[in-house]
Formats: sequence, C-alpha cells, structure tokens
Amino acid sequence: MFKEYDVIIIGGGITGAGTARDCAMRGLKTLLIERHDLTAGATGRNHGLLHSGARYAVTDQESAEECIRENMTLRKIARHCVEETDGLFITLPEDDLKFQDTFIQSCLKAGIRAEAIDPAEAIRLEPSVNKALTGAVRVPDGAVDPFRLTVANVFDAQLHGAEVLTYHEVVSILKEGYRVVGVEVIDNQSKEKKTLRSRLVINAGGIWGHAIAEMAGATVNMFPAKGALLIFGHRVNNMVINRCRKPADADILVPGDTICLIGTTSSRLPYDQIDDMKVTPDEVDLLLREGAKLAPELADTRILRAYAGVRPLVAADNDPSGRSISRGIVCLDHETRDGIPGFITITGGKLMTYRLMAEWATDLACKKLGVDKKCQTAEICLPGSEETKTEKKSSSQHVWLGEKAAQGRHGSRSTNIVVNDENDASLVCECEGVSVAEVNYAIETLGAKNIINLRRRTRLGMGTCQGELCACRASGLLSKANGCAKKSAEDLASFMNERWKGMFPVAWGETLAEAQFTAWIYEGVCGLDAFDKKEEA
Amino acid sequence: MSKNKIDTSFEQCMKCTVCTVYCPVVAVNPDYPGPKQAGPDGERYRLKNPLFYDETLDLCLNCKRCEVACPSNVKIGDIIQSARLKYGTHKPKLRDYILANTDVMGSLATTMAPVVNFTLGLKPVKSVMDAVLAVDHHRTFPKYAGQKFETWFKRHALKKQDTYNNKVSYFHGCYANYNHPKLAKDFVKIMNAIGYGVNLLEKEKCCGVALISNGFKDQAQKQAELNLSSIRKAVARGEKVLTTSSTCTFTMRDEYEHILGLDNADVRDSINLATKFIYELVDAGEIVLKFKEDYVKRIAYHTPCHMEKLGWALYSTSLVRMIPGVNFMMLDSQCCGIAGTYGFKKEHYQDSQKIGEGLFKQIIDSQLDMVATDCETCKWQIEMSTGVPVENPISIIADALDVEATVKANQK
Amino acid sequence: MKFDTIIIGGGLSGLVAGIDLSRKGQKCLIVSSGQSALHFFSGSFELCSLADNPYEGIATLGAEHPYSKIGAESIADLSAKVKPLFKEVGITLKGVKDANHWRITPMGVLKRAWLTMDEYGTVPADGVMPWKKVAVLNIDGFLDFHTSYIAAGLEAKGVECSVHAISMPELERLRMNPTEMRSTNIAKTLTGDLIGALAARINEYAHDVDAVLMPAVVGLTSSTDVVKLKEKVDRPLHFIATLPPSVPGIRIQMMLKKHFQKLGGVYMLGDSVVSGEFEGGKLKSIKTNNHGDTEFKADNFILASGSFFSKGLASDIDGVYEPIFGLDVDSLDVRSEWYERNLFDAQPYMSFGVATDNEFHVKKNGERIENVYATGSVLSGFHPMKQGCGAGVSILSALYVSSLLKTIR
Repeated sequence: MFKEYDVIIIGGGITGAGTARDCAMRGLKTLLIERHDLTAGATGRNHGLLHSGARYAVTDQESAEECIRENMTLRKIARHCVEETDGLFITLPEDDLKFQDTFIQSCLKAGIRAEAIDPAEAIRLEPSVNKALTGAVRVPDGAVDPFRLTVANVFDAQLHGAEVLTYHEVVSILKEGYRVVGVEVIDNQSKEKKTLRSRLVINAGGIWGHAIAEMAGATVNMFPAKGALLIFGHRVNNMVINRCRKPADADILVPGDTICLIGTTSSRLPYDQIDDMKVTPDEVDLLLREGAKLAPELADTRILRAYAGVRPLVAADNDPSGRSISRGIVCLDHETRDGIPGFITITGGKLMTYRLMAEWATDLACKKLGVDKKCQTAEICLPGSEETKTEKKSSSQHVWLGEKAAQGRHGSRSTNIVVNDENDASLVCECEGVSVAEVNYAIETLGAKNIINLRRRTRLGMGTCQGELCACRASGLLSKANGCAKKSAEDLASFMNERWKGMFPVAWGETLAEAQFTAWIYEGVCGLDAFDKKEEA
Repeated sequence: MSKNKIDTSFEQCMKCTVCTVYCPVVAVNPDYPGPKQAGPDGERYRLKNPLFYDETLDLCLNCKRCEVACPSNVKIGDIIQSARLKYGTHKPKLRDYILANTDVMGSLATTMAPVVNFTLGLKPVKSVMDAVLAVDHHRTFPKYAGQKFETWFKRHALKKQDTYNNKVSYFHGCYANYNHPKLAKDFVKIMNAIGYGVNLLEKEKCCGVALISNGFKDQAQKQAELNLSSIRKAVARGEKVLTTSSTCTFTMRDEYEHILGLDNADVRDSINLATKFIYELVDAGEIVLKFKEDYVKRIAYHTPCHMEKLGWALYSTSLVRMIPGVNFMMLDSQCCGIAGTYGFKKEHYQDSQKIGEGLFKQIIDSQLDMVATDCETCKWQIEMSTGVPVENPISIIADALDVEATVKANQK
Repeated sequence: MKFDTIIIGGGLSGLVAGIDLSRKGQKCLIVSSGQSALHFFSGSFELCSLADNPYEGIATLGAEHPYSKIGAESIADLSAKVKPLFKEVGITLKGVKDANHWRITPMGVLKRAWLTMDEYGTVPADGVMPWKKVAVLNIDGFLDFHTSYIAAGLEAKGVECSVHAISMPELERLRMNPTEMRSTNIAKTLTGDLIGALAARINEYAHDVDAVLMPAVVGLTSSTDVVKLKEKVDRPLHFIATLPPSVPGIRIQMMLKKHFQKLGGVYMLGDSVVSGEFEGGKLKSIKTNNHGDTEFKADNFILASGSFFSKGLASDIDGVYEPIFGLDVDSLDVRSEWYERNLFDAQPYMSFGVATDNEFHVKKNGERIENVYATGSVLSGFHPMKQGCGAGVSILSALYVSSLLKTIR
C-alpha cells in the first residue's frame, strides 16, 4: 500500500512553501516536492523588496492594494525576515516632477502611506541618494529575505506535520482516467524513482509549472521574463530607493542584510533557456549606469555578483500569443477549466503576495477535499518571528558578531542554536558571521545537506569573498556530518563553481582579484580541480 | 576624504587574513576580535546596524601594523579607530581625560614639577591612582621638567636663530616641551650646527593622538585645525615643519586626514621628522656631520609602530649608523605594548607587558648601551621593562656630534 | 636617495632578485605594498608541472611564455641555483632537478611539485606511496584543515589512516576567540617549551604507524621549533598545507627578507610607489606614498609587483592596466573573453600581464623602457596553475634579470 497524501505540492519556491504551510496548518496531510533546493528558482533570484505597492499604484491598483495588505501582514508574521527600512521614490532632473502628484494620489487610493518630502530631507534620511534629486516621496517599502521567508514557511509546515522532499524531480503526473492521483519522481541524487499518491496535486512550479501542467495534460501559457540584478559589497543605502516614474529598467535599489542590490532588467526569454540564464555585459552596463543615477556611490562600489531570475508571465487564459498578460494571481482549477480533477495550478503573483496565493490555492484544495478550516497564515507568526520574552544579555557581557548576526537570521529561534563549547562559537564564514553552531543548526534542523543549502539557510558564502575560506570550512563540517569525504569535496567544487557563475559577469577590480585569490587557494594549494564534475558546468 | 564620507577601503579586503598575523593584541588577548573582524568584516555589519558595534574594539592599540601588512591597501586601523569614535558608547573617564590632555596636564605639572614628580612617585599616590583613576600602579610616570622647553627657548635661544639664513619650524610636541626639554634643546643644537635657525610655530597644541585614542574627537579636531593653521603659516614662509616624535608626525600627516577628516594635503609633505630632513640633506651632499671620536656605544634601534607605518626608520637608523663609534643593531620590528596611553590603563597593563615581551627579551639579550627610538612612549615602556636607557636618535646625534667641527664644515 | 636597483614588490620574485643583486654588490631597495602571496604558500615550488620531467614540460611551451624568453640553456643554469640559494637563506628544500615529485594537498589529492620544503609530506616521482599506515592529526577546533579529506585521499591510494584531533590546554585561550583559531596563532602558541608537550600528545598516536601527518602550524619565525618537534616525535613527522595563512610561507618571507637586509638591502614595507619620472626612454626616479616628495633614484628598476591580487595588475569595467606606470599589458579587450564559465577551466585572465621583450624590458606606449624589467607574476604569457609554473617563473625570471645587471666592485 502506498502512503496517500491529501495534497502534493510541486515547487519549493515561496509559493509552494507558503501553500505547504497553509495546507498543513489546515490539517491536510501534505507533501512538498522540489527538484533542487528550496528557493532555487525565481524566489532566490529577485530584489528581496518588501513592496509597499507604490510601484504598481499608478498602473495596477489591484496589485498595489494586495501588496500593501501583505506588506503589513509580513511585518507581523515574518518579523525576522523583514527590515522596515521605508523607501523613497525620487524624481531626477530628467524625470517629470508632475508625475509625483499622480503617483501620490494613486498610492493613497490604494491605501499606501505616501508623503512628499523635501529633497534636502530625503538626503538627510538617505545620504547615499543622488543629490540632484528634485523631489522625493516616502513610502512604506522595506526589505524581505526570500531565503529566510521560504525556509521559515517550510519549517512551519514541517512543524505542522508536512513532509518535504528536496532534490526530487517530478517526471510524470500519475492519472487514473482524467483524474490526477499523484506523481512519479526521481531522486536527483540517488537517481532512484518513486511513486507518490495524493488526492490532490498543486502545481506551484513558477515558470517550470508550464511544463508540469503539460505533464498533467493541461495548457497554461507562460512566458518567461528575465530580470538581471547586481549585488554590491555593502549597504550603500539604508532605505529602498526607487525612481518616481513609470516602472522601467534598473530603477530599484534595495538594501538587504549586509549588501544592497540594483535591478532589474526585463527581457523575454525563450522557454528552453530558463535553466541556463546568463547575465550579459550589456545588462551589467545598463544596471550600473542606471543604478548610479539612484545612488552615485554605486559606480565605485565593489560588485559581488550578478544574477538573473525569471518571472512567469501568465497569458490571460487561453491567449497563446502572450500579448494579453495577467498581472495578478492566477489560481487555476483544472477540473472546471480542463476537465482534469485533482489538479490545481497556482501561479502569477509575486514574492509579496505569496501568502495570499497560498491562501487561494489552499481554499480551493480544502473545498475539493471537503475540509472546512479557515486560513490562519495571516495571524500566526512564522517560526522565528514569535514574540519572545527572553531579554537580551546584560550589556556587560560581550556578544560576538556571529551571535548577533544569527539572532537577525533566525529570530526567536536563534535560541535553538546550541553553543556547547568554544569550538561551536568559532566562525565558519567571517564575512557574514556564521558560526559552527549555526552551521550545525542548519544541518540538523533546517535540512541543509550541502554548502548551497547552507548558504540559503545562513548566508554562508554570501559575503564579500564569496566563499573563499568559509566554503572549505563548511565542507569539512558537512563531510563530518555526512561521512563521505569524496561527496563533500565534489560538493565544494560545485559550490565554488556556482559562486564563480555569479562573479565572472562582474569580475573586474576587487572581484577579479578575489577570484584570482580564490583560484590560488582552491586550485593551487588545495587541488580542488580534481573534484570538478565537468557535466555540471 | 571629507569629514562625513565613510571610508570604503574595506571593500578592497580580500579576506586573506594576513592582518591578523601581525596584530599584537590578538596574540595576547582572546577578547579582541582581531583586525579583520573588527575592521572590514565588522564595518559591513555596522553599516547595517550600529548595534553591531563591539566595545572590545577599545582593545585595539592603533599600532597600524595590520595596515602595513595588508596586501590590499585596506585602512584597517583607520576603520577601527573611526568606528570607535563614531559608535563607541563608553563615556571617557576622568582618567582618560587626564591621560588624553597631555598638554593641559603638562602645563599644570611643569610649574609644580618637583612636587608632582615626587607625588607621582609615591607608593600611596600610585595606589590611589590605581584604585580611583584605574592607572596601573606598576607604571612609572614620565617626570615633568622644571622649565618648559618653550620658556627656555625664548630666554636662551630665540635671539640667536635670526643669525641663520636657512630656517625650519619646530613642532616640539608635549613630551619635549614638558617632560624632556633636553630632546628639543638637542634638536636646536644640531640644527644650528648645520646652519639652520629654528622657529617655533605661532601656536602649538598637542597633536591630539591621545585625544583620538581616548574618544575626544571634537577636541582633537579643534587642536588639529589650530596646528594646521600654524603649520600653514610656517610653510608659507618657506619653512619645513620638523618634529622629534614619530607619533606626532604620523598623527599630523595621516590621522588628521584619515580619522579627523581634515584636508592636510597642502602641507603633508612639509611635516617631517627631523631625522628625515637631516638625513636627506646629508644624502644630497648639502651638509656634513662631524662626530666625536670618543663616542663609542652599542646601540640598537627599535621601530615604533607609527614609525613602521610612516616607513621612515630608514632615515633615523641611517643617521645613527653614520656615527663612527656606534656598533649598530636593528631590533625586530614589533610593538612594545605601550601604544601611547593604552598601557597606562589598568585594564590593559597585563596585555601591554605581554605584547612587549619578545622585544624586551631581545633588548636584554643583546648587551646594549642604549636603545634608540623615535617615540617617547616606547622610551618609557622599554626603560621601565628592561632597565636599558632609551634615547631619541636626535639626542644621540647631538651627544655624538662634534659641534665645532660640524659648524666649521658647514660654513660656506 | 640613490640605489643601484630599486625593486617594486617584496614577494618571492622581488626578494630573490634583491638577494641575488645584493650578492653582486648592488645597493638595492625593495618597496613592498603589504605582505606577499607567500602568505598563501602550498609548501612547494613548481617549475613546470606539465610532465614528470619539468624540462620536458618546459620544452612544450609557446614563445610568449617567460621560460621561452629565458631560453632552455639559461633555465637549466638558473634552476640549478635555486636550492643552494634557499639553503643560504636557511630554508632546506627537497626534490631533484629534473624530476617532479608529488605533494599532498589539503584536499588529499596529489599535485606535481619540483622543490618542497623539507618538513612537508611528499610522494616520490614514481607515485608509490611511501607509507602503509599513517596517523592524520589535526588540532581540535582548527577549521582550516580537514583530516577527512586527507584520509580519504590516502586511503584511495591504499594507505591505512587513523584520524585524531589533539588538544592542548594552552590552546584553550586561543579558542575563546571565534575568529582567531588560525594557523599562525596556533604557531605563536605552540612554540618554545611547548614543543615537548606537543610532541608527547602526537606520540600518543604514533605507536604503530609509518608516519604522522599534521597541518603546518608550527614554526612561524624560524625552523627551530620544527626541527625540535621532528626530533621528539617517535615516527617521521610530515606537514600538510592548511588554508591561509601559511605558517611556513610566512617563515620563508621573513627569512628571505632578513637575508636581503643582512646583505645590505633596504626593505620598505607597507609603502606603494605612486609615480615615476621618465626621461629619454628611461625611468629616473620614483616617489612613494609614505615618503611624499622624496625621490628614490636608481640605475635600474625591477617591477615584481605581482598579479591582480597583489595589485601589480589592475582592472576596471573597461580593461586591464598596470597601475603604477601605465605600462603596456597583454590582455584581451572584450571583457567577456577574460573568463571561462567553468571555474576550473584555464581562465584567460590568469595569463594577463605586462608586455615585455625577450630580456623582460617593459614597454610604455609601445616603447621599450631600457632600465625597467618585469619579473614574476606580473609577467604575461603563462598560466601559473594549468602549467604549474608560478613559483618557477617568479624565481627564474628574477635570477635571469639579475644576471643581466652588472656586478658592482
């Protein structure tokens, strides 16, 4: 007898993670499947902007209203993933200052606090802003860490009984007649195949959901839109900086943790390239040129890496041309739409509205399964964001950077990071302050199995040097935990290669020097090239 | 760099950890996060949130040996000092005020020198200072002279200076003025012998190094501006401004800009250590030094941290080596542990002595008549810890100089 | 101030040139902006790792390669001088002239090496493992060395390994600091009288093994501690490289520098050359950051300023340049051609460097500068890792340029 789930959710991005949490909280027997690691797709490749909705206010009131509602919700339920920085929409001499009025009116109409401030005041609030600005509007933008948010959702789903399979890829959708009854997956690491049965399958595969729907026999026309971004070495700005004009390329600069990022470009991409995206020199040049208009300092700031994400643009139903694009959330009941019972697709939307998307999908699932439970994801805090009574250590006691940084990353759950002795307090990643204890916590509690997992759960290797010393240290700890030195060495080689992919598009100046130093250490001193698996390159 | 701009040299950090190899504090005190973590690593977090500032940055000696070692030109020491001034929440203590205001204390003390010296040497006074002010009781306080150098200069030397065609200005600093006027007198003696007249600056305040390290940034800025304005007037007269202390020199040349955010580019090259100025004249063949034949000594040179940072030990050692009777030895360049007022503080005393251990051993083992060094606080530390007398190279040159022959040789 | 030769860059290449020229009676100045890449030393010098016999590998290199400019005959002459030179400095190297041996990397794989510091573990040219059974030790809590990789690598070659972590009460203080449990700090702790206690701890695991392998964390300022430790350990003791900083590499740096100074050389650390005065196709003098308007003059200049890491080469979004004098460089114009997508492929940027003629004279705007030579990793035309020749180029180009300059007295 196969174990049967109530619902299988495909896709370990934020939508799938949020849906898994919602389903599990409503008592459904839930399984989440992801072919790589959590957040490996578009979720881990965006701005990390906690939109106030202001960006959409003029063009799309509905999205704007959704954004500001979810914005306020996330500040409450995901405190440890959110930075309440506020944002500025600045007008530059080349922009039309008249647009500011329209902008503010639209914001207020959508329920977004928007207040015009004096340029001098804007410079005082955010000293990095382009001093040539002619106007500024302050809005409740912020920053959100998509890795932390996704992991917290998945972790909470697990606490509510959900199961999670990462590195498992759906190879076919099981059907009995027209009804979808489960999935067949392949374990991407052991190459073993498994059949998993459920009463419902929810497709939360983002752009890859296009292919998943096809497996189920449904057509969801999605058009990949590529957006490239650059990560800078430190926080140049402490408030989000946007341009007060119609949305365009490279007009958002977001501070996030220890860095800041500028984005995005926007271009359509052939579907067959979504797994192999390259950031082109032209895109880098454009991002730098436009970025420096928001904060001139960017022109001289070290760039750590470049990356691109792919947004799924969903054609308004049954428009194969893609000319008519739906901007909002798309929740498809394939039973009523295509005559395929047991199959739901949740797509469209954005990082900001993931919880609402999850709520819609779960509402539909509950309806299908005859479960009458209310959504509580907007009220109950995510693990790490719970109110705690534990007070800070007395000020006389010295707190290391690693401990403070971990508090920021894991919120109230950081008390579960166990420091038994001095060795546990030792830093693995010095740029981001990740200790041995935090690495062990990520391995034992957050399911990290390789260095990329660790990076997404702790920020290890995300700092200035992009893993130059910490990757090897972490690899040694993983090798101890998983008992296979060869596998860990190969993992280290592939991690360094993954870091390089983001570095070389911006490898000049310090970034090139760092790359050379890293190569000396890993290839020269260590001989890590012996563990490179060419096919992954 | 302007007063408000943040120094982003931390971006150049390659995370190679070379700085930590040369940090004297890390080696003795595990509470100190080390230059890389306290400097470039920590700075990224402090930019995110000032709460990431860590009071253990006070353990930094500001020796700048991390900067000297850094292959990537990261201003590690400057980043740490600036962070202390910007984020430090410790209120400076009365003790810090007393230690920092070397010139105020100096003028008070000089007038009452015998009493002060006597009192500072008394055991009960030392224990009161230890208990109340947290100045470690092991410390020997530098003695105060009965007559300031400035007073002496005006009474006994000023008139004569007009007889020279070449002129230099002298920034004597607190130590030469209040504690050890002999050094300043030696300087005047040499300069006059080689045909240079000496002017004092119109106004001179303490260079401010102790104010910076004790957290009195505003006062340091005021004094720095006053000094710069006096220096500018001297430079406008076509005079170089010479000093006899490596730390004052370093502070005015580099810290004024890097830590206090003052633009000194117009006069930076004119602020010189006397040994550099004199050596370059000799090197260029413009002057000749004649030495006494009976001056025979074994002398080793200790490179003060700020001298290492300036990179000028070359000049002082080359001068001392010119003395025919000197058997010269170069000590390994390492911190003596005093770091200005740092080692005076009770909480740092142990570390301070431990840092200097290797140096003291090398000095004691080397059978020396004397140690030469360009820094007054290194002098106190080494004398206290080894019993070997320590002199500024200028005093050594002055003692070894055959003044008559030198004057003659330089008359054209 | 006037010198016979001024060397810009105080790493391996600059110091070798400085020592060789000082031996010839030249008055030399080295200006070094910060510590050198020797701080990340693997323990071995490579000459050419393309073949078992380095000279066979060298014969296959193209005309642009620095070795080809030096020429086979000079390579043979100069390479014979390397071991004695280091011996004179106080560093014993093992290895023979015309056969590479193998060094054991921190990842447990073998890499070709030409001359290796005596204290490191190596495998002979034939690849036959010299031990049947070894103890692989680490210092407890030291994250920059992983015994599991070494053991896995050796076991794959049929060597039985026992893995142990050793601890010493004296290291507890160091361990209290989360960032400073580093090779050099361990070396600063495990010195002098503690060597005996360390040997005793090692001997607990040295009973029935052919050799003991441990991270290179002893002997920062001299080899005294290493010699003493080897004496006191019951079995042959060999080091394996750690992640940076490299304790033996720093020792080499210090000893080379001391030797240079002993020969009368002037070494200015933490200073950088900011400008040069050219006249009639020659460099007359330089100025440095620390010395402001003081001019340093010399008959000849050697640029041994290193590659991108050491800032001998610089790059920005538009291209690669030589940052001190704006000398001509060999590089590629189109930025996307500087890189290969796979990190471990031969990265083109690694071969960028200043353009030189066959005697390593540099060029500025196409004109040869007759008294400025380049040596070491600032040179173009070689790939230090893929050809396994980084240290060889640094040392031999320095000796070669030195051989072109005159003996004084």
